[in-house]
Amino acid sequence: MPADSYAVAFPVGESSRPRRAEQGSGNQNPITMRGSLAAQSNRIDDTSLIREAQEGNRAAFEVLVRHYDQSVLRLALHLTGSESDAQDVYQEAFLKAYKNLGSFRFECSFYTWIYRIVTNLCLDHLRKRNVRKEEAPVAVDASGEEYSRLEQFADVRSGANPERDLMQRELGRKIGTALSALTPRERMVFELKHYHGLKLRTVGEMLNTTEETAKNTLFRATQKLRASLAEMR
Amino acid sequence: MSFELYFELQSRRDTNMKCDWVRQNILFYVYNEIEDDARYEIEQHLGRCPECATELKATRKFQAELSETPVAEPTPNLLAASRMRLQEALETTRQGGLWQRLILEPAIWLRQIRMAPALAAAIFMVGFGGGIGATYNWVANRPSIVANDGNDKYSNPASPVEASAITGIRSVTQAPGSNQVNIKYDTVLTQEAQGSLNDQRIQQLLLFAARNNYNSGVRMDSVDVLTQAPGESNVREALMYVLQNDTNPGVRLKALDGLSGFVRQDNQVRDGVLRALIGDTNSGVRMQALRLVEPMKTDSNVRSVLTKLAQTDQNVSIRSQARTMMAQMPEMD
Repeated sequence: MPADSYAVAFPVGESSRPRRAEQGSGNQNPITMRGSLAAQSNRIDDTSLIREAQEGNRAAFEVLVRHYDQSVLRLALHLTGSESDAQDVYQEAFLKAYKNLGSFRFECSFYTWIYRIVTNLCLDHLRKRNVRKEEAPVAVDASGEEYSRLEQFADVRSGANPERDLMQRELGRKIGTALSALTPRERMVFELKHYHGLKLRTVGEMLNTTEETAKNTLFRATQKLRASLAEMR
Repeated sequence: MSFELYFELQSRRDTNMKCDWVRQNILFYVYNEIEDDARYEIEQHLGRCPECATELKATRKFQAELSETPVAEPTPNLLAASRMRLQEALETTRQGGLWQRLILEPAIWLRQIRMAPALAAAIFMVGFGGGIGATYNWVANRPSIVANDGNDKYSNPASPVEASAITGIRSVTQAPGSNQVNIKYDTVLTQEAQGSLNDQRIQQLLLFAARNNYNSGVRMDSVDVLTQAPGESNVREALMYVLQNDTNPGVRLKALDGLSGFVRQDNQVRDGVLRALIGDTNSGVRMQALRLVEPMKTDSNVRSVLTKLAQTDQNVSIRSQARTMMAQMPEMD
Protein backbone atom coordinates (compact mmCIF):
# COMPACT_ATOMS: atom_id res chain seq x y z
CA MET A 1 0.00 0.00 0.00
CA PRO A 2 1.55 3.32 -0.94
CA ALA A 3 2.60 5.54 1.89
CA ASP A 4 0.52 8.44 0.63
CA SER A 5 -2.70 6.55 1.14
CA TYR A 6 -2.28 7.26 4.85
CA ALA A 7 -2.32 10.97 4.30
CA VAL A 8 -5.49 11.72 6.22
CA ALA A 9 -5.81 15.12 7.83
CA PHE A 10 -6.60 14.49 11.46
CA PRO A 11 -5.33 16.02 14.65
CA VAL A 12 -2.68 13.97 16.35
CA GLY A 13 -1.47 13.28 19.85
CA GLU A 14 -3.48 13.46 23.01
CA SER A 15 -5.85 16.09 21.65
CA SER A 16 -6.98 13.66 18.97
CA ARG A 17 -8.52 11.33 21.49
CA PRO A 18 -12.29 11.52 21.29
CA ARG A 19 -14.09 13.06 24.20
CA ARG A 20 -16.63 11.02 26.08
CA ALA A 21 -19.47 13.24 24.84
CA GLU A 22 -18.71 12.06 21.32
CA GLN A 23 -19.30 8.46 22.24
CA GLY A 24 -22.46 6.46 22.33
CA SER A 25 -24.27 8.26 19.57
CA GLY A 26 -26.53 6.09 17.41
CA ASN A 27 -26.21 2.35 17.58
CA GLN A 28 -22.44 2.38 17.32
CA ASN A 29 -20.66 0.67 20.17
CA PRO A 30 -18.93 3.45 22.10
CA ILE A 31 -15.73 1.48 22.52
CA THR A 32 -15.64 0.57 18.86
CA MET A 33 -16.33 4.18 18.02
CA ARG A 34 -13.48 5.35 20.17
CA GLY A 35 -11.20 2.68 18.79
CA SER A 36 -11.99 3.45 15.18
CA LEU A 37 -11.37 7.13 15.78
CA ALA A 38 -8.13 6.26 17.48
CA ALA A 39 -7.17 4.09 14.54
CA GLN A 40 -8.13 6.87 12.18
CA SER A 41 -6.13 9.38 14.14
CA ASN A 42 -3.09 7.21 13.70
CA ARG A 43 -3.53 7.14 9.97
CA ILE A 44 -2.00 10.52 9.62
CA ASP A 45 0.61 11.54 7.26
CA ASP A 46 3.65 10.47 9.23
CA THR A 47 5.62 9.90 6.06
CA SER A 48 7.85 12.95 6.37
CA LEU A 49 8.47 12.31 10.07
CA ILE A 50 9.36 8.70 9.35
CA ARG A 51 11.73 9.70 6.55
CA GLU A 52 13.43 12.28 8.76
CA ALA A 53 13.73 9.75 11.58
CA GLN A 54 15.15 7.22 9.13
CA GLU A 55 17.84 9.76 8.28
CA GLY A 56 18.79 9.85 11.94
CA ASN A 57 16.68 12.78 13.15
CA ARG A 58 15.92 11.77 16.74
CA ALA A 59 13.59 14.72 17.31
CA ALA A 60 11.39 13.55 14.43
CA PHE A 61 11.29 10.09 15.97
CA GLU A 62 10.24 11.52 19.32
CA VAL A 63 7.37 13.39 17.65
CA LEU A 64 6.38 10.13 15.99
CA VAL A 65 6.49 8.38 19.36
CA ARG A 66 4.08 10.91 20.82
CA HIS A 67 1.54 10.11 18.11
CA TYR A 68 1.31 6.52 19.26
CA ASP A 69 2.76 6.12 22.71
CA GLN A 70 -0.38 6.69 24.73
CA SER A 71 -2.33 3.94 23.04
CA VAL A 72 0.74 1.70 23.15
CA LEU A 73 1.06 2.25 26.87
CA ARG A 74 -2.65 1.68 27.37
CA LEU A 75 -2.50 -1.62 25.51
CA ALA A 76 0.60 -2.72 27.41
CA LEU A 77 -0.87 -1.69 30.73
CA HIS A 78 -4.10 -3.55 30.14
CA LEU A 79 -2.40 -6.67 28.87
CA THR A 80 0.35 -6.90 31.43
CA GLY A 81 -1.63 -5.52 34.34
CA SER A 82 1.48 -3.91 35.74
CA GLU A 83 2.80 -0.39 35.35
CA SER A 84 6.40 -1.48 35.44
CA ASP A 85 5.81 -4.25 32.88
CA ALA A 86 3.89 -1.80 30.71
CA GLN A 87 6.78 0.63 30.92
CA ASP A 88 9.19 -2.13 29.94
CA VAL A 89 7.08 -3.07 26.93
CA TYR A 90 6.77 0.62 25.97
CA GLN A 91 10.52 1.14 26.26
CA GLU A 92 11.48 -2.00 24.43
CA ALA A 93 8.94 -1.45 21.65
CA PHE A 94 10.03 2.09 20.79
CA LEU A 95 13.73 1.31 21.08
CA LYS A 96 13.23 -1.62 18.75
CA ALA A 97 11.30 0.62 16.38
CA TYR A 98 14.08 3.22 16.48
CA LYS A 99 16.80 0.69 15.78
CA ASN A 100 14.88 -0.94 12.95
CA LEU A 101 13.27 2.14 11.46
CA GLY A 102 15.59 1.85 8.47
CA SER A 103 13.89 -1.38 7.48
CA PHE A 104 10.43 0.22 7.48
CA ARG A 105 9.47 0.28 3.78
CA PHE A 106 6.01 1.87 3.93
CA GLU A 107 4.49 -1.44 2.90
CA CYS A 108 2.04 -1.07 5.77
CA SER A 109 1.09 1.90 7.91
CA PHE A 110 3.50 2.94 10.63
CA TYR A 111 0.62 2.36 13.05
CA THR A 112 0.40 -1.30 12.02
CA TRP A 113 4.18 -1.62 12.11
CA ILE A 114 4.61 -0.24 15.64
CA TYR A 115 1.63 -2.24 16.89
CA ARG A 116 3.15 -5.37 15.41
CA ILE A 117 6.21 -4.77 17.57
CA VAL A 118 4.14 -4.01 20.64
CA THR A 119 1.81 -6.98 20.24
CA ASN A 120 4.76 -9.33 19.80
CA LEU A 121 6.35 -8.04 22.97
CA CYS A 122 3.06 -8.30 24.86
CA LEU A 123 2.48 -11.83 23.58
CA ASP A 124 5.95 -12.78 24.81
CA HIS A 125 5.11 -11.26 28.15
CA LEU A 126 1.79 -13.11 28.39
CA ARG A 127 3.41 -16.41 27.42
CA LYS A 128 6.14 -16.00 30.01
CA ARG A 129 3.56 -15.18 32.61
CA ASN A 130 1.54 -18.26 31.67
CA VAL A 131 4.65 -20.39 32.04
CA ARG A 132 5.28 -18.92 35.47
CA LYS A 133 1.61 -19.50 36.25
CA GLU A 134 1.23 -16.07 37.67
CA GLU A 135 -2.37 -15.98 36.87
CA ALA A 136 -3.58 -14.50 40.10
CA PRO A 137 -5.16 -11.14 39.35
CA VAL A 138 -2.79 -9.42 41.71
CA ALA A 139 0.13 -7.43 40.40
CA VAL A 140 2.81 -5.12 41.69
CA ASP A 141 3.00 -1.51 40.60
CA ALA A 142 6.09 0.59 40.02
CA SER A 143 6.29 1.49 43.70
CA GLY A 144 6.15 -2.18 44.71
CA GLU A 145 2.65 -1.98 46.07
CA GLU A 146 0.28 -4.85 45.33
CA TYR A 147 -2.92 -4.06 43.51
CA SER A 148 -5.59 -5.89 41.60
CA ARG A 149 -5.07 -6.14 37.87
CA LEU A 150 -8.76 -5.88 37.47
CA GLU A 151 -8.63 -2.35 38.73
CA GLN A 152 -6.92 -1.45 35.51
CA PHE A 153 -10.46 -1.06 34.24
CA ALA A 154 -11.48 2.53 34.65
CA ASP A 155 -14.24 3.17 37.09
CA VAL A 156 -16.23 5.63 35.06
CA ARG A 157 -18.70 6.53 37.74
CA SER A 158 -16.47 6.43 40.71
CA GLY A 159 -17.92 8.34 43.58
CA ALA A 160 -21.35 8.79 42.00
CA ASN A 161 -22.96 5.82 43.68
CA PRO A 162 -21.04 3.69 46.24
CA GLU A 163 -23.22 0.63 45.72
CA ARG A 164 -22.92 0.78 41.98
CA ASP A 165 -19.24 1.51 42.37
CA LEU A 166 -18.85 -1.74 44.32
CA MET A 167 -20.75 -3.67 41.65
CA GLN A 168 -18.56 -2.18 38.95
CA ARG A 169 -15.45 -3.22 40.80
CA GLU A 170 -16.85 -6.72 41.21
CA LEU A 171 -17.69 -6.93 37.51
CA GLY A 172 -14.26 -5.63 36.63
CA ARG A 173 -12.69 -8.32 38.76
CA LYS A 174 -14.75 -11.01 37.06
CA ILE A 175 -13.90 -9.72 33.62
CA GLY A 176 -10.23 -9.62 34.51
CA THR A 177 -10.33 -13.22 35.69
CA ALA A 178 -12.16 -14.30 32.55
CA LEU A 179 -9.70 -12.46 30.32
CA SER A 180 -6.72 -14.01 32.04
CA ALA A 181 -8.13 -17.47 31.28
CA LEU A 182 -7.76 -16.84 27.54
CA THR A 183 -4.71 -17.92 25.59
CA PRO A 184 -2.28 -15.06 24.89
CA ARG A 185 -3.34 -14.92 21.27
CA GLU A 186 -7.08 -14.97 22.07
CA ARG A 187 -6.51 -12.30 24.65
CA MET A 188 -4.62 -10.17 22.16
CA VAL A 189 -7.22 -10.45 19.41
CA PHE A 190 -10.05 -9.69 21.84
CA GLU A 191 -8.13 -6.78 23.31
CA LEU A 192 -7.37 -5.22 19.93
CA LYS A 193 -10.92 -5.73 18.65
CA HIS A 194 -13.02 -4.97 21.68
CA TYR A 195 -11.00 -2.41 23.61
CA HIS A 196 -9.07 -0.80 20.77
CA GLY A 197 -11.76 -1.09 18.10
CA LEU A 198 -9.43 -2.26 15.35
CA LYS A 199 -10.71 -3.99 12.26
CA LEU A 200 -10.01 -7.71 12.21
CA ARG A 201 -8.11 -7.24 8.96
CA THR A 202 -5.73 -4.87 10.76
CA VAL A 203 -5.51 -7.23 13.73
CA GLY A 204 -4.57 -10.01 11.32
CA GLU A 205 -1.84 -7.82 9.79
CA MET A 206 -0.45 -6.95 13.19
CA LEU A 207 -0.32 -10.56 14.28
CA ASN A 208 1.02 -11.76 10.94
CA THR A 209 -2.03 -13.83 10.23
CA THR A 210 -5.17 -13.68 8.08
CA GLU A 211 -8.40 -11.87 8.78
CA GLU A 212 -10.18 -15.23 8.80
CA THR A 213 -7.89 -16.59 11.51
CA ALA A 214 -8.35 -13.43 13.55
CA LYS A 215 -12.12 -13.87 13.15
CA ASN A 216 -12.02 -17.44 14.39
CA THR A 217 -9.82 -16.44 17.32
CA LEU A 218 -12.21 -13.65 18.29
CA PHE A 219 -15.14 -16.05 18.12
CA ARG A 220 -13.37 -18.54 20.37
CA ALA A 221 -12.30 -15.85 22.83
CA THR A 222 -15.82 -14.47 23.08
CA GLN A 223 -17.32 -17.91 23.65
CA LYS A 224 -14.84 -18.56 26.45
CA LEU A 225 -15.45 -15.17 28.05
CA ARG A 226 -19.22 -15.58 27.97
CA ALA A 227 -18.92 -19.00 29.51
CA SER A 228 -16.55 -17.77 32.23
CA LEU A 229 -18.72 -14.79 33.11
CA ALA A 230 -21.84 -16.94 33.17
CA GLU A 231 -20.18 -19.31 35.63
CA MET A 232 -19.28 -16.41 37.91
CA ARG A 233 -22.84 -15.16 38.23
CA MET B 1 -45.55 -38.72 3.58
CA SER B 2 -47.71 -35.95 2.35
CA PHE B 3 -46.24 -33.11 0.33
CA GLU B 4 -47.29 -30.63 3.03
CA LEU B 5 -45.40 -32.52 5.72
CA TYR B 6 -42.36 -32.90 3.49
CA PHE B 7 -42.21 -29.16 2.77
CA GLU B 8 -42.67 -28.29 6.43
CA LEU B 9 -39.80 -30.54 7.49
CA GLN B 10 -37.65 -29.18 4.69
CA SER B 11 -38.52 -25.64 5.75
CA ARG B 12 -37.62 -26.39 9.39
CA ARG B 13 -34.28 -27.92 8.35
CA ASP B 14 -33.47 -24.85 6.25
CA THR B 15 -34.40 -22.59 9.15
CA ASN B 16 -32.16 -24.57 11.52
CA MET B 17 -29.25 -24.30 9.11
CA LYS B 18 -29.86 -20.58 8.83
CA CYS B 19 -29.96 -20.22 12.61
CA ASP B 20 -26.61 -21.96 12.94
CA TRP B 21 -25.12 -19.63 10.39
CA VAL B 22 -26.64 -16.53 12.03
CA ARG B 23 -25.42 -17.56 15.50
CA GLN B 24 -21.95 -18.06 14.15
CA ASN B 25 -21.98 -14.62 12.61
CA ILE B 26 -23.97 -12.62 15.11
CA LEU B 27 -20.81 -11.67 17.00
CA PHE B 28 -19.29 -10.20 13.84
CA TYR B 29 -22.61 -8.48 13.14
CA VAL B 30 -22.36 -6.79 16.54
CA TYR B 31 -18.72 -5.91 15.99
CA ASN B 32 -19.50 -4.57 12.52
CA GLU B 33 -17.22 -7.10 10.86
CA ILE B 34 -19.62 -8.48 8.32
CA GLU B 35 -20.30 -7.92 4.63
CA ASP B 36 -23.32 -5.83 3.67
CA ASP B 37 -25.17 -8.71 1.99
CA ALA B 38 -24.64 -10.98 5.00
CA ARG B 39 -25.78 -8.17 7.26
CA TYR B 40 -28.99 -7.87 5.26
CA GLU B 41 -29.61 -11.62 5.48
CA ILE B 42 -29.03 -11.63 9.23
CA GLU B 43 -31.39 -8.73 9.76
CA GLN B 44 -34.06 -10.44 7.66
CA HIS B 45 -33.64 -13.64 9.67
CA LEU B 46 -33.69 -11.86 13.03
CA GLY B 47 -37.04 -10.36 12.13
CA ARG B 48 -38.51 -13.81 11.63
CA CYS B 49 -36.62 -15.90 14.25
CA PRO B 50 -37.20 -14.98 17.92
CA GLU B 51 -34.52 -17.43 19.13
CA CYS B 52 -31.80 -15.75 17.07
CA ALA B 53 -33.12 -12.34 18.15
CA THR B 54 -32.62 -13.48 21.76
CA GLU B 55 -29.08 -14.52 20.88
CA LEU B 56 -28.45 -11.08 19.43
CA LYS B 57 -29.74 -9.51 22.64
CA ALA B 58 -27.45 -11.71 24.75
CA THR B 59 -24.43 -10.86 22.60
CA ARG B 60 -25.15 -7.15 22.86
CA LYS B 61 -25.56 -7.46 26.60
CA PHE B 62 -22.24 -9.23 26.88
CA GLN B 63 -20.57 -6.57 24.78
CA ALA B 64 -22.16 -3.80 26.81
CA GLU B 65 -21.11 -5.48 30.04
CA LEU B 66 -17.51 -5.52 28.98
CA SER B 67 -17.81 -1.95 27.79
CA GLU B 68 -19.17 -0.89 31.13
CA THR B 69 -15.65 -1.29 32.44
CA PRO B 70 -13.49 0.46 29.87
CA VAL B 71 -9.76 0.20 29.99
CA ALA B 72 -8.08 2.77 32.17
CA GLU B 73 -5.91 5.30 30.45
CA PRO B 74 -2.34 5.34 31.71
CA THR B 75 -1.88 8.07 34.26
CA PRO B 76 -0.08 11.23 33.10
CA ASN B 77 2.69 10.39 35.53
CA LEU B 78 3.21 6.96 34.02
CA LEU B 79 3.19 8.39 30.51
CA ALA B 80 5.64 11.14 31.41
CA ALA B 81 7.95 8.70 33.21
CA SER B 82 7.85 6.34 30.23
CA ARG B 83 8.68 9.16 27.82
CA MET B 84 11.59 10.37 29.92
CA ARG B 85 13.00 6.89 30.24
CA LEU B 86 12.73 6.41 26.49
CA GLN B 87 14.42 9.74 25.77
CA GLU B 88 17.34 8.80 27.98
CA ALA B 89 17.71 5.45 26.26
CA LEU B 90 17.50 7.02 22.79
CA GLU B 91 20.47 9.23 23.59
CA THR B 92 22.70 6.20 23.84
CA THR B 93 21.03 4.14 21.13
CA ARG B 94 22.13 4.13 17.54
CA GLN B 95 19.93 3.36 14.60
CA GLY B 96 20.78 0.30 12.56
CA GLY B 97 23.05 1.49 9.75
CA LEU B 98 22.76 0.71 6.09
CA TRP B 99 25.27 -2.13 6.25
CA GLN B 100 23.55 -3.67 9.22
CA ARG B 101 20.29 -3.55 7.31
CA LEU B 102 21.79 -5.07 4.23
CA ILE B 103 23.60 -7.78 6.13
CA LEU B 104 20.91 -8.62 8.63
CA GLU B 105 18.02 -8.39 6.24
CA PRO B 106 18.96 -10.13 3.01
CA ALA B 107 15.26 -10.87 2.62
CA ILE B 108 14.80 -7.21 1.75
CA TRP B 109 17.23 -7.58 -1.11
CA LEU B 110 15.54 -10.72 -2.33
CA ARG B 111 12.15 -9.09 -2.12
CA GLN B 112 13.36 -6.01 -3.96
CA ILE B 113 14.80 -8.14 -6.74
CA ARG B 114 11.73 -10.32 -6.94
CA MET B 115 9.45 -7.33 -7.00
CA ALA B 116 11.54 -5.45 -9.52
CA PRO B 117 12.76 -7.55 -12.45
CA ALA B 118 14.01 -4.37 -14.09
CA LEU B 119 16.33 -3.80 -11.13
CA ALA B 120 17.58 -7.36 -11.38
CA ALA B 121 18.19 -6.90 -15.11
CA ALA B 122 19.97 -3.60 -14.47
CA ILE B 123 22.24 -5.20 -11.87
CA PHE B 124 23.05 -7.99 -14.32
CA MET B 125 23.76 -5.53 -17.13
CA VAL B 126 25.97 -3.35 -14.94
CA GLY B 127 27.92 -6.42 -13.88
CA PHE B 128 28.27 -7.63 -17.46
CA GLY B 129 29.23 -4.17 -18.73
CA GLY B 130 31.75 -3.80 -15.94
CA GLY B 131 33.35 -7.07 -16.92
CA ILE B 132 33.59 -6.03 -20.58
CA GLY B 133 34.97 -2.63 -19.59
CA ALA B 134 37.59 -4.15 -17.31
CA THR B 135 38.69 -6.54 -20.04
CA TYR B 136 38.86 -3.71 -22.57
CA ASN B 137 40.99 -1.61 -20.25
CA TRP B 138 43.28 -4.51 -19.56
CA VAL B 139 43.80 -5.17 -23.26
CA ALA B 140 44.18 -1.50 -24.11
CA ASN B 141 46.71 -0.88 -21.39
CA ARG B 142 48.67 -4.06 -21.75
CA PRO B 143 52.16 -3.41 -23.16
CA SER B 144 52.00 0.26 -23.92
CA ILE B 145 55.67 0.83 -24.48
CA VAL B 146 55.85 4.46 -25.41
CA ALA B 147 58.80 6.74 -25.18
CA ASN B 148 58.24 10.41 -24.67
CA ASP B 149 59.85 13.69 -23.94
CA GLY B 150 57.62 14.32 -21.02
CA ASN B 151 54.79 16.22 -22.58
CA ASP B 152 53.37 14.23 -25.43
CA LYS B 153 50.12 12.37 -25.53
CA TYR B 154 51.81 9.01 -25.46
CA SER B 155 53.39 9.79 -22.17
CA ASN B 156 53.95 6.50 -20.50
CA PRO B 157 56.58 5.68 -17.95
CA ALA B 158 56.93 2.20 -19.32
CA SER B 159 60.09 0.23 -18.86
CA PRO B 160 62.51 -0.06 -21.78
CA VAL B 161 61.36 -2.26 -24.60
CA GLU B 162 62.28 -5.87 -24.25
CA ALA B 163 63.99 -6.85 -27.45
CA SER B 164 62.42 -10.28 -27.32
CA ALA B 165 58.98 -8.69 -27.26
CA ILE B 166 59.55 -6.86 -30.55
CA THR B 167 58.55 -8.80 -33.59
CA GLY B 168 59.32 -6.07 -36.09
CA ILE B 169 59.50 -2.37 -36.77
CA ARG B 170 56.88 -1.12 -39.18
CA SER B 171 58.06 2.40 -39.88
CA VAL B 172 60.40 5.10 -38.71
CA THR B 173 59.63 8.71 -39.50
CA GLN B 174 61.14 11.91 -38.34
CA ALA B 175 59.29 15.17 -38.14
CA PRO B 176 61.02 17.65 -40.46
CA GLY B 177 63.17 20.15 -38.64
CA SER B 178 63.00 18.47 -35.26
CA ASN B 179 64.57 15.60 -33.46
CA GLN B 180 61.24 13.92 -32.82
CA VAL B 181 61.05 10.40 -34.17
CA ASN B 182 57.97 8.30 -34.63
CA ILE B 183 58.43 4.57 -34.71
CA LYS B 184 55.80 1.96 -35.32
CA TYR B 185 56.83 -1.42 -34.15
CA ASP B 186 55.24 -4.78 -33.52
CA THR B 187 55.11 -6.84 -30.45
CA VAL B 188 52.09 -9.04 -30.27
CA LEU B 189 50.15 -6.00 -31.27
CA THR B 190 51.41 -3.10 -33.31
CA GLN B 191 52.34 -0.26 -31.06
CA GLU B 192 53.65 3.16 -31.47
CA ALA B 193 56.43 4.99 -29.73
CA GLN B 194 57.20 8.65 -29.99
CA GLY B 195 59.96 10.62 -28.42
CA SER B 196 63.26 12.37 -28.71
CA LEU B 197 66.31 10.91 -30.37
CA ASN B 198 68.03 11.20 -27.04
CA ASP B 199 65.41 8.99 -25.44
CA GLN B 200 66.84 5.67 -24.44
CA ARG B 201 63.85 3.72 -25.59
CA ILE B 202 63.75 5.40 -28.97
CA GLN B 203 67.41 4.64 -29.44
CA GLN B 204 66.83 1.08 -28.40
CA LEU B 205 64.09 0.68 -30.97
CA LEU B 206 66.22 2.31 -33.65
CA LEU B 207 69.15 0.06 -32.90
CA PHE B 208 66.83 -2.89 -32.97
CA ALA B 209 65.42 -1.73 -36.27
CA ALA B 210 68.86 -1.13 -37.74
CA ARG B 211 70.08 -4.57 -36.80
CA ASN B 212 67.10 -6.83 -37.14
CA ASN B 213 64.43 -5.52 -39.37
CA TYR B 214 63.42 -7.44 -42.43
CA ASN B 215 62.38 -4.27 -44.23
CA SER B 216 65.37 -2.49 -45.74
CA GLY B 217 63.44 0.75 -46.03
CA VAL B 218 62.87 0.73 -42.27
CA ARG B 219 66.51 -0.13 -41.69
CA MET B 220 67.46 2.74 -43.96
CA ASP B 221 65.24 5.13 -42.04
CA SER B 222 66.58 3.86 -38.72
CA VAL B 223 70.18 4.26 -39.79
CA ASP B 224 69.39 7.66 -41.24
CA VAL B 225 68.03 8.75 -37.87
CA LEU B 226 70.87 7.13 -35.96
CA THR B 227 73.46 8.98 -38.02
CA GLN B 228 72.21 12.13 -36.36
CA ALA B 229 73.40 10.87 -33.01
CA PRO B 230 76.64 9.09 -33.78
CA GLY B 231 78.24 10.42 -30.63
CA GLU B 232 76.69 7.57 -28.66
CA SER B 233 78.98 4.57 -28.56
CA ASN B 234 76.11 2.13 -28.93
CA VAL B 235 74.91 4.04 -32.02
CA ARG B 236 78.36 3.76 -33.55
CA GLU B 237 78.42 0.07 -32.76
CA ALA B 238 75.07 -0.34 -34.47
CA LEU B 239 76.26 1.58 -37.54
CA MET B 240 79.38 -0.59 -37.64
CA TYR B 241 77.18 -3.66 -37.41
CA VAL B 242 74.99 -2.39 -40.24
CA LEU B 243 78.00 -1.56 -42.36
CA GLN B 244 79.37 -5.02 -41.92
CA ASN B 245 76.24 -7.12 -42.05
CA ASP B 246 73.34 -5.34 -43.69
CA THR B 247 72.30 -6.93 -46.94
CA ASN B 248 71.23 -3.69 -48.50
CA PRO B 249 74.09 -1.58 -49.93
CA GLY B 250 72.06 1.58 -49.56
CA VAL B 251 71.72 0.96 -45.83
CA ARG B 252 75.42 0.15 -45.55
CA LEU B 253 76.21 3.32 -47.45
CA LYS B 254 74.02 5.27 -45.08
CA ALA B 255 75.80 3.72 -42.10
CA LEU B 256 79.08 4.64 -43.67
CA ASP B 257 77.92 8.22 -43.93
CA GLY B 258 77.00 8.14 -40.29
CA LEU B 259 80.42 6.90 -39.33
CA SER B 260 82.27 9.42 -41.50
CA GLY B 261 82.94 11.84 -38.67
CA PHE B 262 84.60 9.23 -36.50
CA VAL B 263 87.06 7.67 -38.89
CA ARG B 264 89.80 9.95 -37.72
CA GLN B 265 89.29 9.67 -34.00
CA ASP B 266 87.91 6.16 -33.51
CA ASN B 267 90.26 3.33 -34.48
CA GLN B 268 87.47 0.79 -34.36
CA VAL B 269 85.42 2.85 -36.82
CA ARG B 270 88.47 3.24 -39.02
CA ASP B 271 89.05 -0.52 -38.98
CA GLY B 272 85.39 -1.11 -39.73
CA VAL B 273 85.51 1.22 -42.70
CA LEU B 274 88.70 -0.47 -43.91
CA ARG B 275 86.99 -3.87 -43.66
CA ALA B 276 84.15 -2.50 -45.75
CA LEU B 277 86.66 -1.11 -48.20
CA ILE B 278 88.28 -4.47 -48.61
CA GLY B 279 85.38 -6.86 -48.37
CA ASP B 280 82.14 -5.07 -49.25
CA THR B 281 80.41 -6.53 -52.24
CA ASN B 282 79.17 -3.20 -53.43
CA SER B 283 81.58 -0.95 -55.24
CA GLY B 284 79.66 2.15 -54.30
CA VAL B 285 80.13 1.32 -50.64
CA ARG B 286 83.76 0.61 -51.18
CA MET B 287 84.29 3.86 -53.09
CA GLN B 288 82.65 5.75 -50.25
CA ALA B 289 84.81 3.91 -47.72
CA LEU B 290 87.84 4.80 -49.78
CA ARG B 291 86.92 8.44 -49.68
CA LEU B 292 86.43 8.27 -45.95
CA VAL B 293 89.81 6.81 -45.25
CA GLU B 294 91.63 9.14 -47.63
CA PRO B 295 92.39 11.73 -44.96
CA MET B 296 93.81 8.91 -42.87
CA LYS B 297 96.04 7.54 -45.56
CA THR B 298 99.09 8.16 -43.47
CA ASP B 299 97.78 5.62 -40.95
CA SER B 300 99.77 2.43 -41.34
CA ASN B 301 96.67 0.23 -41.58
CA VAL B 302 95.09 2.53 -44.15
CA ARG B 303 98.29 2.67 -46.13
CA SER B 304 98.71 -1.09 -46.24
CA VAL B 305 95.10 -1.51 -47.34
CA LEU B 306 95.51 1.15 -50.04
CA THR B 307 98.72 -0.49 -51.20
CA LYS B 308 96.97 -3.82 -51.51
CA LEU B 309 93.98 -2.30 -53.30
CA ALA B 310 96.22 -0.37 -55.71
CA GLN B 311 97.98 -3.54 -56.64
CA THR B 312 95.40 -6.27 -56.68
CA ASP B 313 91.81 -5.01 -56.49
CA GLN B 314 89.59 -6.33 -59.20
CA ASN B 315 87.57 -3.16 -59.34
CA VAL B 316 89.32 -0.82 -61.73
CA SER B 317 87.93 2.30 -60.19
CA ILE B 318 88.99 1.25 -56.72
CA ARG B 319 92.44 0.22 -57.91
CA SER B 320 92.89 3.44 -59.80
CA GLN B 321 91.68 5.56 -56.93
CA ALA B 322 93.89 3.73 -54.51
CA ARG B 323 96.90 4.25 -56.73
CA THR B 324 96.13 7.93 -57.03
CA MET B 325 95.87 8.22 -53.33
CA MET B 326 99.08 6.34 -52.83
CA ALA B 327 100.81 8.59 -55.35
CA GLN B 328 99.69 11.66 -53.49
CA MET B 329 100.84 10.24 -50.24
CA PRO B 330 104.06 11.81 -48.97
CA GLU B 331 107.11 9.59 -48.82
CA MET B 332 107.45 7.81 -45.58
CA ASP B 333 110.57 8.27 -43.66
